[in-house]
Amino acid sequence: MFESILVANRGEIACRVMRTATAMGLRTITVFHHADRHAPHVALADLAVELHADVPTAAYLDVEQILAAARAHEAQCLHPGYGFLSENAAFAEAVEQAGIAFVGPQSDVIRLMGDKIHSREFAVKAGVPVAPSVTQSGSVEQFVEDAAQIGFPLLIKASAGGGGKGMSIVRNAAELPDAIRTATGEAERYFADGRVYAERYIDRPRHIEVQVVGDGKGEVRHLFERECSVQRRFQKIIEESPAPQLAPALRDEICAAAVNLAASANYRNAGTVEFILDPSGDFFFLEMNTRLQVEHPVTEMVCGVDLVEAQLRVAAGEGLPWAQADITQNGHAIECRICCEEPDNDFRPATGAAQILRLPETEGARFDGGIREGQIISAAFDSMVGKLICHGDDRNGAIDASLAALDELILLGVSNNIDYLGAILGHDAFREGVLHTGFITEHAEDLAPAEIDETDRAAILIAAALGVDDFRSLVFDTPEPYASIGGWRN
Amino acid sequence: MSGAFSFTLDGNEHAVSVSARQPELVLSVDGVEHQVSEAGALSEQCVLLTVDGRSYQVWRTWEADRMHIRIGGRSFSVGYEDAISAAQHQAGGDDVLLADMPGVVVNVQCEAGANISAGDTLMVIESMKMQINIVAPRDGSVELIHVSTNDTFDKGAELISLHAED
Amino acid sequence: MARIQSHIQTNSSEFRQYYAHNRKLVEEFRAKQDAARFQRPQKDLDRLAGHGKMMPRERIDKLLDPGTPFLEFSSLAANMAYDGDAPSAGCITGIGMVQGREVMLHANDSSIKGGAWYPLTVKKIVRCLDVAIENRLPVIHLCDSAGGFLPLQSELFPDKYMAGRMFRNQAMLSKMGVKQLALIFGHGTAGGAYIPALSDYSVIVRGTGAVFLGGPPLVKAATGEIVTADELGGADLHTQISGTCDYPASSEDEAIAIGREIVSQWEQPTKWSLQRDPIEAPYYDPDDLYGIIPDDIKRAFDMREVIARIVDGSRFHEYQPAYGTTLICGYANIWGFKIGILANNGVLFNDSALKGAHFIELCNQNNTPILFLQNITGYMVGREYEAKGISKDGAKMIMAQVGSHVPKFTVMCHGSFGAGNYGMCGRAYDGRMLFSWPNSQIGIMGGEQAAKTLTEVKLRQLERRGEAVDQANLDGVYDETLEAFKHQMSAYYATSEVWDDGMLDPVDTRNALGMSISASLNAPLDDKGYGIFRF
Repeated sequence: MFESILVANRGEIACRVMRTATAMGLRTITVFHHADRHAPHVALADLAVELHADVPTAAYLDVEQILAAARAHEAQCLHPGYGFLSENAAFAEAVEQAGIAFVGPQSDVIRLMGDKIHSREFAVKAGVPVAPSVTQSGSVEQFVEDAAQIGFPLLIKASAGGGGKGMSIVRNAAELPDAIRTATGEAERYFADGRVYAERYIDRPRHIEVQVVGDGKGEVRHLFERECSVQRRFQKIIEESPAPQLAPALRDEICAAAVNLAASANYRNAGTVEFILDPSGDFFFLEMNTRLQVEHPVTEMVCGVDLVEAQLRVAAGEGLPWAQADITQNGHAIECRICCEEPDNDFRPATGAAQILRLPETEGARFDGGIREGQIISAAFDSMVGKLICHGDDRNGAIDASLAALDELILLGVSNNIDYLGAILGHDAFREGVLHTGFITEHAEDLAPAEIDETDRAAILIAAALGVDDFRSLVFDTPEPYASIGGWRN
Repeated sequence: MSGAFSFTLDGNEHAVSVSARQPELVLSVDGVEHQVSEAGALSEQCVLLTVDGRSYQVWRTWEADRMHIRIGGRSFSVGYEDAISAAQHQAGGDDVLLADMPGVVVNVQCEAGANISAGDTLMVIESMKMQINIVAPRDGSVELIHVSTNDTFDKGAELISLHAED
Repeated sequence: MARIQSHIQTNSSEFRQYYAHNRKLVEEFRAKQDAARFQRPQKDLDRLAGHGKMMPRERIDKLLDPGTPFLEFSSLAANMAYDGDAPSAGCITGIGMVQGREVMLHANDSSIKGGAWYPLTVKKIVRCLDVAIENRLPVIHLCDSAGGFLPLQSELFPDKYMAGRMFRNQAMLSKMGVKQLALIFGHGTAGGAYIPALSDYSVIVRGTGAVFLGGPPLVKAATGEIVTADELGGADLHTQISGTCDYPASSEDEAIAIGREIVSQWEQPTKWSLQRDPIEAPYYDPDDLYGIIPDDIKRAFDMREVIARIVDGSRFHEYQPAYGTTLICGYANIWGFKIGILANNGVLFNDSALKGAHFIELCNQNNTPILFLQNITGYMVGREYEAKGISKDGAKMIMAQVGSHVPKFTVMCHGSFGAGNYGMCGRAYDGRMLFSWPNSQIGIMGGEQAAKTLTEVKLRQLERRGEAVDQANLDGVYDETLEAFKHQMSAYYATSEVWDDGMLDPVDTRNALGMSISASLNAPLDDKGYGIFRF
């Protein structure tokens, strides 16, 4: 096992990685930008190295400085966390070349899976289902025929496109020719490139992903699936494991496909294979994330493992810690991402300070946080400041535990989504487990903050007023007999 | 209303004032009276507030000119403006353009002294990978630009001041 | 202290008769007061609204702390003068609370002749500043006046206690270290310019506020210069260039908000520590007062019944209960404040005068403020009493009363005639506040007595000249004299002339006194010492 580790990240993931590393007896080193000097991950580390950059996030992307810190303090391994440089193949390569073990996959695998087109082709070759698509190669008529083969509904997309432009949903063959013409026209107008392709469109898809850990030599374990369908604008909000209402056979198929993909790449260390699940039961490869994911704790709680520990053991050459048969799912876990944003202002990022931070003490609640009470939340970093993960004997138990924990969790001083998360978890549709990536949009009205009850409105305003010193003075500092005579006039 | 304190909740303005102090505290919210009592602190940051017989645990904290309150199991953001500022804003109107959310200045497209028309883009800001145009709310002229390209700012920060309307 | 035992029977015919009478008087009083406060020609209301100006009472309501009382002085000043052209004498004065501090307010009412100063306006303002001086109350001036009412200039300008006295009082307040704030909502012309200039802090509203020794018309007449009010003395000139005013405000609301914040900076006053006990409401219903006070000025009643409806818990510690029984003396609490009370239960005799003097000395010894409840026709006359030295005894009472170093307060509950008014701390005797009830009368002697006396004099005159006595003529003299005296003795006349600090609904007396006593504690006690008591 390594003697030391450099964690090249910040916030909750840096804290979480160092927690395990310290428990395993490693000396922990971390990096930070001046803007983060009061952050918990800095205090948690045995040694914290300041990085310099004009923009705070740039510090955590500065390959040179990070490598210099790792070398200077003799870090034997480096954990990149998620985001930042975690999927930067060149960085992984540089780390290994510096003689430091990179706690993650090989750099060429990172490179492969980081390329949407190449990873998709690789998946096809490995026999992993991918969403059918066809590009226009010959005449328009040929394209219409090919496209119809995909099956409806389908999506016509501009090859050079993005941002929802040059995209249309086609529900039947009759609509197809016109749709292609329109999309081609739009593509030319917006992107100066009229090429379009057709792809199977999935209505109400579910986002199902599989946690895998490989030894780099073709052996891969899976730790079952996670459901991450509750998303807003492609950002995950709530994740859980196991996926609700997923037939065991289908689950096994999906997990097997993930293992297949990872093994084909001789995947090393932890990763996640993401799929889109069609209501009909078809599933298609979306992408592979070659790193530890934000929502890994739900897998940990359900399978009873420490994934970071597993990562370190694999990186240290100790091989995979479990046989596949050893890995079982027990109970149910749900993770809520706690973000500093304004739910009633289109979820714009919020700044302020975590003036009051009270963590829940409910049984079965785990809070992976990256902030301390009093810490300033600025626009410099991502708005997620922590994760609340709750375990229950079954899904209902996990939901109840999550609701109770969210109620106990108090973060005051900066707008956040805690009440919004409670609204989602409390929604009947969530309780029923009818999930898909459009869940938030479908129930947007229900999830909007409830109208403030008239009775409560007065109480809120009174509570606010009594928090203003000048008002308190007006109320409590009026001398007698004026206070008792009251608003009399002669 | 005499000595009313002005608060914003849910985008609406409300006035809170004192109706009576003895024998019971009676506060008025938008002219409607309520019996109030505040028990001591339940913990360092939590007080017990009773309004018209209903009791609530209250956590309160200030952030600039806003108060974050957790009451009745929900969190609220209540804006407060002191009487002088409130009176000035009633008179002033849209002379100062404020940032809607925290972010960074991408570019500035006007200068001090320039005449502008309603709808002109004066500045572009970026936050969470969204770019937003700061647009002139009315015809007029620019008095002062408070930020420069690449400056970061918080929500509510003053970006551009316009000369007061005649 | 034991509670007063009331002997009033609220269902007796006498009670009900008096009750109906006094309720009617009070309703008339309230109607007159409402008219004086609020009835204005619509065109004047429109004019003010058009300039974005608030009515003065609205300004006061916004300035004062919410849920706190305002004791207004002399609301019916000038009600029998100037053909009713100047209700409340065109200004509002009184004591209120701003940011937890007691202040004296002085506000012009520009809805009445532009807030011009009539002679009685000046008298009312000088009086409120005198109250501020005597009680060390900070003053807030709400300035909005057209200046002196020129047609009556000889009655408001030249003499010692006329307009000049306002500014002298302001300077004196400042010398005493008492703070003044001026909120300039309208014009401050000529003398009016001195008010902010002599104030420690001033806030001026842009556009409507202006301060100048000579207004635009005068300037044009004097030098030919043509200039607007704003150019001549508006907010920007005085806050940016001349330094005459301290804070510009873009609206009246802003000016008031700034004013309140200024007051919140002032140190808390040090008040002298009058003994205080827990507050207790009167045991008997103050509403009973309407049925206690007779409908005839000559009819007597027991002042203990009045005291019982004013003081805390109706509790009263009576001093010398068996001696000098036409003057009730004793201690009680009002809104928790310990006070000594002298109240008339008839004419003053030698013993009651001596008792009064002694009790006043006791109050001074004990640092207890004194309340005089007047219902006095005078001292007893006649040879027997002269021989006993009634003049000396009355003099001793005055000597004790004037030599008091504690605050004194007076309420005219019924009659206030002759030397009795003096002995019982009438206007000339520096009571901190003096109030009257609508039924009260004040004069050198009772109306009928005066009419009889003058008719006697006329009769003697005719006899001396040897002329025939024309009974009809004499009756005419009697009737005319009675009418004239009645007119000038009524509480309305007195309050019109600002001989008191305001008329009160009897049930409001307790609150008015509570605030008055509280206000009086802001000044340190006077020096002790009496003159010579002629024994």
